[in-house]
Amino acid sequence: MGNNNKKSKHNSNERRANHGSRPATARVRADADGNGRVATAARAGRGESQTRQDTDLRTYSIPDYRAERPAFTVLQRVEKDADGNEHVRYEVSGDLDAPLPPIRDSRYLDRQQAIQIYRYMLLNRKMEVALENLYKQGKVVGGVYFGLGQEACSCASAYALDKDDWFAPMIRNQGSLLVRGFRASDTMMQYMAKADSPTGGRDGTSHFGDIEKRNMVSPISMLGDLIPVLAGVALGARLQGRNVAVMTYIGDGGQSTGVTYEGINFAAVQNLGLVLVVESNLWAYSTPSNMQYRCKDLAERALGYGIPGVIVDGTDACQVYDAAHEAVERAHRGEGPTLIEAKMMRMKGHAIHDAAGYVPKEMFEFWKKRDPIARFENYLLQDKKWLTGQENEALIAHVDEIIEAEREIAVNSPMPAPESAEGGVFCENGCHEVKPKYGTPKVRKGTGSYKATEAAVHLK
Amino acid sequence: MQLTYLEAIRQGIWEEMERDPAVFCLGEDIGVYGGAFKVTDGFIDRFGPERVIDTPIAESAIVGAAFGASLTGMRPVAEFQFMDFIACAMNQISNMVAKTHYLWGAPAPLVLRGPSGGYVHGGPFHSQNPEMWFVHNPGLKVICPATPYDAKGLIKAAIRDNNPCVFFEHKYLYRRIKEEVPQEDYVVPIGKARIAREGRDLSVITYAAMVHSALEAAEILSKEGIEIEIVDLRSLVPIDRQAIAQTVKRTNKVILLHEHSRTGGLAGEIAAIINEEAFDDLDGPIVRIAGLDSAIPFSPPQEHHYLPKVEDIVRESRRLKAY
Repeated sequence: MGNNNKKSKHNSNERRANHGSRPATARVRADADGNGRVATAARAGRGESQTRQDTDLRTYSIPDYRAERPAFTVLQRVEKDADGNEHVRYEVSGDLDAPLPPIRDSRYLDRQQAIQIYRYMLLNRKMEVALENLYKQGKVVGGVYFGLGQEACSCASAYALDKDDWFAPMIRNQGSLLVRGFRASDTMMQYMAKADSPTGGRDGTSHFGDIEKRNMVSPISMLGDLIPVLAGVALGARLQGRNVAVMTYIGDGGQSTGVTYEGINFAAVQNLGLVLVVESNLWAYSTPSNMQYRCKDLAERALGYGIPGVIVDGTDACQVYDAAHEAVERAHRGEGPTLIEAKMMRMKGHAIHDAAGYVPKEMFEFWKKRDPIARFENYLLQDKKWLTGQENEALIAHVDEIIEAEREIAVNSPMPAPESAEGGVFCENGCHEVKPKYGTPKVRKGTGSYKATEAAVHLK
Repeated sequence: MQLTYLEAIRQGIWEEMERDPAVFCLGEDIGVYGGAFKVTDGFIDRFGPERVIDTPIAESAIVGAAFGASLTGMRPVAEFQFMDFIACAMNQISNMVAKTHYLWGAPAPLVLRGPSGGYVHGGPFHSQNPEMWFVHNPGLKVICPATPYDAKGLIKAAIRDNNPCVFFEHKYLYRRIKEEVPQEDYVVPIGKARIAREGRDLSVITYAAMVHSALEAAEILSKEGIEIEIVDLRSLVPIDRQAIAQTVKRTNKVILLHEHSRTGGLAGEIAAIINEEAFDDLDGPIVRIAGLDSAIPFSPPQEHHYLPKVEDIVRESRRLKAY
């Protein structure tokens, strides 16, 4: 997308918003390719993806649900200190004084659901505060990763999944785990490397999974590898006659990896129900997004894959939910993958050891005003009047109680016995039964019968 | 029925797909074209494009998708056009697939298969023996059959196994060897070596195409009165420690033979096993015959020089016999 500078405000703002409710088929006249050449934009639907038609019209559509579109540029700049020594620092430019936008009403969430998401966001944050305290008490092995400022993205996206759907979190999606039914103590024990942690101490953080009940694939530390894996889950389920949605996440840093491309492209050509939440949180460890990619919005990449893309405000739980819900519905209908770009900011360092001194302070100030929990709380209490002050206080107190009880469980779990490092490398002696999860795969047999193959011509 | 090595693998996969609807294949050009070496020729017409999937040229996606499908209880068989290209998927295999069962207890019943090996002038990117990359990764089974009977029995065993199996098909053997393979269903257990030839004077422990080089050398040596015992390992992980120890106890002298580069090759590991299990039974130094420590070159004279030869085995056997 070399022409991203040409994108007019008119194009990317008003028009996008108009089409926000129909991401799968919405079309907007292109950001010109310069010579008026146009072709059909990616379309949903299995048949269509197989028989994509060339026309004389190239139309692009990236619906943008956001109520505001903060555009910052972060560049490296040489500064001189008092002694005249030069230092390279990051400098931000853009409208840092923009007023706080309202939460968009969800087209799908009712009062009860909105309050549940809010509750999960509170659990998410308070669990991470508890983890920070456990770390300070020396009870954590290694570091702690936070999703501060990203709770709406984690919780509202995972909330859109059905029970039979699958997901895989990234390091900051600890809220997604809570939504999918894992306990806070599971994550806490992982961080403390305890015997009762889901991996029995063999790995930490959110690196665990469950293919039986909660349909979670364990993440690994390398970025992007989950994407083809989740596509494969959808492929396996489809062979068994089920269209499941498979949700995973990738950051603006992680999407730089090659396997990200391979995975999305595979899901696209196979028309698999991948829901990829691209969490544009502006910083990949210490590297700003301006140094990760050149296009304006990562959602634009969806065009290159031939799949729908949509942009949401990652600090607005309603927008995240709506986009995720629509993507999940598409997946259930067998219409293929969706890329959701959620824009927000990582409000802490990469992990607990990192004070994030490289981030210009104005950025923290800007996004602090957009705290997803404060915004959603205000929305539920003031805008919608779905919660009274008293109900809210009771809810927060209850969440505090839960987290304290979970903390107790986690702290009281023993460390694993040293010998428990052994065994389990292979699945053997009947330790697991492998059978198709959704029933016997539907088999279609052609008329071809076995006959010996002709001689190969390659490297005889 | 007389089957080539390639036909035996093809028949094994075909029969497994007939037997178990959870088995499916994916890979580059495996469907309509039938695979670069025609291992899956005709499969798409029989089993349909749903179960014989032509993929983009994206090895990480192939492994990732196979792994994901295996988590839902499917048994994917992923083809690599050449095993050299499996390097493109190394992170998926090493960090995702291999560690899964140990870390979070999910079985990953998938097969990663494809042609490897030299002697066909494929050059540095179509002749490699990358098996040791996987031997070094706990959690993977590594299988290297040498005969049509074993190739069929082992591919079936790999497909039925609940663990990720990396299956190396030696492309030199594909259509060069033929043998009688039973009509009825059978599997060859993974992890059991076989004696390819019995002999009293010394042992050659090897696998894949080198088994045949050793057999050729054995004929020559036999005429001189030197009887070598040939152990075909069949699988590198799990490795049959017992068979290694037993042959050393019988012959007291051993040659370790493989195409893979000498440094970091399996011979070093086997030598360590012999040291641990049968040190007192040795009557001579452990001899290694292996590929050179370089990339495998393209030009036939250079490739010939790089790879182990029958005459190397004959020469080293005479030397060791005389020791």
